[in-house]
Amino acid sequence: MNCYMNTIPIIIDDKKLEVDPGKTILEVCRENEIEILTMCHLKGVLDIGACRLCLVEIEGVNKLLSACTTKVAANMIIRTNTDRIKKYQRITTELFFAERNHVCAVCVANGKCELQDLGYKVGLDHIRYPHLFPQCEVDTSHPWYVMDHNRCIMCTRCVRVCNEVEGAHNWDVMNRGHQVRVISDFNSPWGESVTCTSCGKCLHACPTGAIWPKAIVQGQLQKNPGMINELVEKRKMKL
Amino acid sequence: MVKYKKMSKKKLATVWLGGCSGCHMSLLDIDERILDVAKLADIVKSPIVDGKEMPEVDIALVEGSITSDEHFREILHIRKKAKTLIAFGDCAVMTNVTGMRNYFPLKEVFDAAYVNAVSNDTEGQVPGHPSLLKLNDKVVPLQEVVNVDFVIPGCPPSADTIFYVLFEFLNDRLPDLGKAKKLKYG
Amino acid sequence: MNRQDLKTIIYAEKKKEETNKYKHKICVCCGAGCISSGSEEVMKKLQEEIKTRGLENEVEVIPTGCMGPCNQGPLMKFLPEYNIYQKVDCSNIAAIVQSQLIEKKPIEDLLLFADSREKPFIDARDDPYFKKQLKIALKNCGHINPERIEDYLVHNGYLALDKVLFEMSPEEVIAEVKQSRIRGRGGAGYPAGLKWETVYKYVNDQKYVICNGDEGDPGAFMDRSVLEGNPHRVLEGMAIAGYAIGANKGYAYIRGEYPLAIKRFELAIKQAKKLGLLGNNILGTTFSFDVEVRIGAGAFVCGEETALIASIEGKRGTPRPRPPFPAESGLWGKPTLINNVETFAAISPIINNGGEWYSEIGTPKSAGTKVFALAGKINYAGLIEVPMGTTLREIVFDIGGGIQNGEEFKAAQTGGPSGGCIPAEHLDVKMDYESLVSLGSIMGSGGLIIMDKSSDMVDVARFFMEFCMDESCGKCVPCRVGTRMMHDLLQKICDNKATQIDLDRLEELAVYVKETSLCGLGGSAPNPLLSTLRHFRKEYESRIVQHD
Repeated sequence: MNCYMNTIPIIIDDKKLEVDPGKTILEVCRENEIEILTMCHLKGVLDIGACRLCLVEIEGVNKLLSACTTKVAANMIIRTNTDRIKKYQRITTELFFAERNHVCAVCVANGKCELQDLGYKVGLDHIRYPHLFPQCEVDTSHPWYVMDHNRCIMCTRCVRVCNEVEGAHNWDVMNRGHQVRVISDFNSPWGESVTCTSCGKCLHACPTGAIWPKAIVQGQLQKNPGMINELVEKRKMKL
Repeated sequence: MVKYKKMSKKKLATVWLGGCSGCHMSLLDIDERILDVAKLADIVKSPIVDGKEMPEVDIALVEGSITSDEHFREILHIRKKAKTLIAFGDCAVMTNVTGMRNYFPLKEVFDAAYVNAVSNDTEGQVPGHPSLLKLNDKVVPLQEVVNVDFVIPGCPPSADTIFYVLFEFLNDRLPDLGKAKKLKYG
Repeated sequence: MNRQDLKTIIYAEKKKEETNKYKHKICVCCGAGCISSGSEEVMKKLQEEIKTRGLENEVEVIPTGCMGPCNQGPLMKFLPEYNIYQKVDCSNIAAIVQSQLIEKKPIEDLLLFADSREKPFIDARDDPYFKKQLKIALKNCGHINPERIEDYLVHNGYLALDKVLFEMSPEEVIAEVKQSRIRGRGGAGYPAGLKWETVYKYVNDQKYVICNGDEGDPGAFMDRSVLEGNPHRVLEGMAIAGYAIGANKGYAYIRGEYPLAIKRFELAIKQAKKLGLLGNNILGTTFSFDVEVRIGAGAFVCGEETALIASIEGKRGTPRPRPPFPAESGLWGKPTLINNVETFAAISPIINNGGEWYSEIGTPKSAGTKVFALAGKINYAGLIEVPMGTTLREIVFDIGGGIQNGEEFKAAQTGGPSGGCIPAEHLDVKMDYESLVSLGSIMGSGGLIIMDKSSDMVDVARFFMEFCMDESCGKCVPCRVGTRMMHDLLQKICDNKATQIDLDRLEELAVYVKETSLCGLGGSAPNPLLSTLRHFRKEYESRIVQHD
């Protein structure tokens, strides 16, 4: 902790903490080993509060707020693990699974998938809602990589990495509601993109097996999402 | 050897619906522990034993999802006969690979398999004999047709998981996969 | 132009009015509703008729904004007699002109509500339809030509702007608005004065004023009518807000489906700029304020303030989590004031008559008047403005003329896809923010859909859920997938295929989506479902089937 800064007292899950103002609740929790589930959060890119897994209860606030986008304030009393939050985390996870076509058995990310890990963490054994089974494209036009929309959970980590870290803005989002899709350029095949630099950062940012390198099979995906933040930090240092 | 209490033997059935039988292979992988199961239960119907009728059972492990009218009738029958119905494996729990045909119209699926398949040496034809079962438009997991009492996800569930669940149920305890850290998809 | 020039223009115009250059004034409603039923041809024909009779120096024909009873259009109003004719078509214009202007007596059979009332009111102001109403935001709608700034000036237009610029400090303006206790008319009902003060307090050399005209609720057309009928009023309100909070730039975000509103508002900006009522050094003061129109591309979610800001910035119109609120960090990260069209339309009367005057109208917690768009199975569908606290019964039966074909009232849907249904047993509810919330509905922007017993409440819930499902921006999981799941479950109930388990899941999902969604769209999407479940649970339960 920076000793030149004034710290502020907050309480998270009955734990009294002295923390730097200006940090988000998520940062504080991660520093203090309080588990907060996340999916759209990726260290190194801006937080958007879209997955709603990191919702916390704050005393005196009648809404649930996302820990990744809410800054700590003095004397905040935060709860991260109430029954209500746990229940909502489970429903969110179920909706993730039911939305697109997640077939773990044939997925390159099987065993290394953040969505799988999330399911295990919330103790999800089955999905109570009917699967939507949308017809999704698999874009294999890129010479090295594949984009499989069946496995995309719309966390938009790839979109933000491509825009903020690589600066290429190859990825964006189109359509509305349950028809949203991540698109390359103006919805052209990835292989025909004029902006993609084929840097591969989106592969590492993707929490599931939606973006993966060709020539690997089930369960072989290797990724390192931490490298995104390393890159960002190194660039700040101008090494 | 696992210790077991003395009590009346339970009846166990395992059923194979729309799946690949991998879950049954995994069931066989419990190896010698099947003797522990056998001490507590009789396996009265299963693809691996010779029993044609579905009698009243205490536990039914059902592998695979509901893909056809035949499966639909069967699962309703099983539900009536079984005290505890366990969805066994990813296909039974969330359709898994079996459900991958759900993204396409049924006709396209048939054409891909019987008409346009590369391996067809003669002109392909979709089989349509009336004695054959009829595929449903959509593959659904068991819980969308009947009440399911317990689920074991996994493709396949590991032998350890299967044994853990069976052993708990046979000893009248409710297993908890999350707490036992035995949750696995794929 | 300086202050003196403005006064000169107003004086000259008023003089013209007083000298009675014209003996008669005929207002032809040219709101989008009446235009679609043919009022433009009616007006053309009327002008021809007057010319052939050689009355053009006695009679002035002007197009106006919405007069109210839209489903009776095209409407034509004769002043000063205040005779309103309904459903005018080209064939009966000659007769009306003959009777009204030559014989000096109205044709009673053609007057407003002649076909539904025993005897129509000759002077329309005596009709309970108008008597029960109090028009503040809509005051000049239907009286003035929205395409002439002079018409607005004659009716004390831009007087409030003049007053704040020369006689009031920004603090005083904010105090006046606070005293009026006006609450944001966009739906949530946040006190406008408080919002103004918050934005005022953030120190920044660039601030913005945004007028939210992205009215997307099915069946609602309050903002459209205000923008079409009196665009200058909104413009003036925005300029006053700009002066109060210290902004020099405003954006009016109007949905693209309102081409007429956009056209008239842009024209208003042009005219105001020409007269120096907008632009640099307004009325010779140091205050500068410019307004630009931004056209929405048809996304309902862009009515949500953070999504609207993203859209103005040229980004994909998706909301972002608040805090920070736009008051702190809004358009391009600058402090931004966002108010609804109707809120801005109420500002100049508040300044002119004082905040106290406004606060005395309505109920203690909800001051002022509210514009409602009456639609559905009601006799007189259209636009009304009533003091807050008017009961639903008064609105439906006294103003709206009751249910079509004498059917029984079943429910009123308020607040569009974010609101809920009010059943018949609560007909005497006072229409204000708190009372509606206590019934599980919301005031919303003012859409009021009346339903009779032919409406199936499960289907109503399904319809609004489908709307929210299609309009969800797809950013957050609860709204993107949750609304789809809820829609599918509601469809299942409508198809008589759902079980009790499905209903339980539906209720669980509704609460989940309400509490976890990122923005107001998802947060309120389950409202129609929850409120119909609350008041009409039997309709759901009667469709539940037993599990096999």
